[in-house]
Amino acid sequence: MAEKKRAVRIYHRNLAMVLGLILLVFILIPVFVKSPYVLNVFVLVFYMSTLSMAWNLLGGMTGQNSLGHAAYMGLGAYACCLLITKTGANPWLAAIFGMVVVGLVAGIIFYPCFILKGPYFTLVSIAFGEALRQFIINSSFFGRASGIGLPFGKDSWLDFRFGSKVPYYYVGLIMVLGVYLLMKKIERSRMGYALRTIREDEDAAAAIGINPTRYKIMAVVVSAMVAALVGFFYASYIRYIDPELMVQAKSTESVLPAVVGGAAYVEGPLVGGLIMIPLSEFLRAKYSAILPGINMLMYAVALLAVIRFRPAGILGWYMHSNVKTFIDTKLLRKPSVDVLEEVELAQYHKEEV
Amino acid sequence: MSTFLQACVNGLLMGGFYSLMGMGQNVIFGVMKIVNFCHGEMLMVGMYLTYILWSVCGLDPYLCVPIVAVLMFCLGGLIQHTLITPSLGTKSFTNLLFLTVGLGLLLSNGALVLFGSEYRTITTAYSQTNIGLGPVTLPLPRLISFGVLIVISVALFAFLKYSTTGKQIRAVSQNSVGAEVVGINTKKIYILTYGLGTALAGVAGALLTGFYTIFPTAGASFGFRALIVVVVGGLGSIPGAFLAGIFLGLLETMVALFISPSYSDLIVFVTFIVILVVRQTVIIRRK
Repeated sequence: MAEKKRAVRIYHRNLAMVLGLILLVFILIPVFVKSPYVLNVFVLVFYMSTLSMAWNLLGGMTGQNSLGHAAYMGLGAYACCLLITKTGANPWLAAIFGMVVVGLVAGIIFYPCFILKGPYFTLVSIAFGEALRQFIINSSFFGRASGIGLPFGKDSWLDFRFGSKVPYYYVGLIMVLGVYLLMKKIERSRMGYALRTIREDEDAAAAIGINPTRYKIMAVVVSAMVAALVGFFYASYIRYIDPELMVQAKSTESVLPAVVGGAAYVEGPLVGGLIMIPLSEFLRAKYSAILPGINMLMYAVALLAVIRFRPAGILGWYMHSNVKTFIDTKLLRKPSVDVLEEVELAQYHKEEV
Repeated sequence: MSTFLQACVNGLLMGGFYSLMGMGQNVIFGVMKIVNFCHGEMLMVGMYLTYILWSVCGLDPYLCVPIVAVLMFCLGGLIQHTLITPSLGTKSFTNLLFLTVGLGLLLSNGALVLFGSEYRTITTAYSQTNIGLGPVTLPLPRLISFGVLIVISVALFAFLKYSTTGKQIRAVSQNSVGAEVVGINTKKIYILTYGLGTALAGVAGALLTGFYTIFPTAGASFGFRALIVVVVGGLGSIPGAFLAGIFLGLLETMVALFISPSYSDLIVFVTFIVILVVRQTVIIRRK
């Protein structure tokens, strides 16, 4: 038993070391990389992956395929910017305000919509996004089609305003990590299990005492609030927002990392985002002058290829590949599942006593 | 009064296109139970095909309609056979949804890469011809298009109602397992259906070119309106789709006339959400 415990300890240590190393690399990148362009790509990866994780809670975990996440993000950005420009409030407080507003709006709007299943829910999410965008274009309070700019000024943490990209890089990294941990927590909680049960069979979930509407509302509110946080980050980073932020194409773009990476996994959007966004940005920078649209074309081809040949996404493919077996056994020295379970059980019993 | 009549006629002429798009979407949605999110892009492909035929071969846009229909039918059948049918087996609704979304991205950005983002128009000898009818004026291209699409709608209705293939399509849409049991080749029907839906979208695109600008995202608004038509008109109902399309066209022009043109999209989307939620609630209550 002691030997088995030791094996498990070594495995956990190795796992922690690998994860720590990856994190360290991301922390050190701005120290070595000085090019604002490369840093910008990383910031883009961070906030798009976060948005994709927000979608994944609703789409991947709950099975409610929303195509309106750009609208939540845009609404969050608008709520923050309006509060800042009209009342001069602190941006960090405005972020909380934006998240609360978007959470409330999403909850209220989607409460009657959850009787709609499957494709109908997707249609309503698209219609909601477009309606919101049209409303903003027609409303002088929201600045119509010309958008809202945030004030420029000295660098300060209090106003979350910097000339350099490095602070945004770190805040973005913290945001992506925080949201990842939150999603991981949700996945392992009662709510996560309830959501996945709803995804597999809603009637069965209701039969065993899960209230589908309640859990779906929780998922949509959390998802929308995270999207609003991304909206706040985007607005603070770009310092200008307009209704173009909420077009249908942006919603689709926010889903792609999750589907390409593997929508069934919390890590899916991160993997998809880390692979697809730098690739897309590279193509955009290199070819968009001669061939506009080439980066989205590549995105589309990748999406179709993944769906056609690897329906579970890149991560789903990795989970069943020899590469993972090799890394697990050789690098991490992962003990067999039996040993892992035995040790975990022993630990559990010890805690019980 | 004459502005009101003119708005009615304009709404009617535009609504015909929404109907045609909605019918294609309706057939696909009815048979495969998937929403075809690239339906609008198919319309755009139809427009560009017409443009190529017109500019290279010098064909009249209305003579292009049958050619475009055949080409689009083949394209749709090919897409169904190579991409959608294999994914139907996985039963993953998310994947099927993003398959069509991905196809839409592929087509619109492919058009952007091939043709650039500039707006193109087809001009014919009769482009600017108007026909006066009492207080209203009817642009000739719109009138011809509307006539053609009425003929196509009636033909489609008759095809689905009376022909053997049409009956097979309806059988598969009602119960695909049952249809397979009685000896219908469902795979073939899927290919036929998707081809038919795409061909209808392509024809709508070809008919639009007479008076509409051609650009890579031209189909987007038509694509979503087709979905509205399906939902409002009722699943599997061709006359329902026709009426819903006309209703949508009239709603748009009426909002533009009485409120403001910039509000027409907003009102259309909000009406759609309300109709969908109310109808579904009624259906659930009735159970």
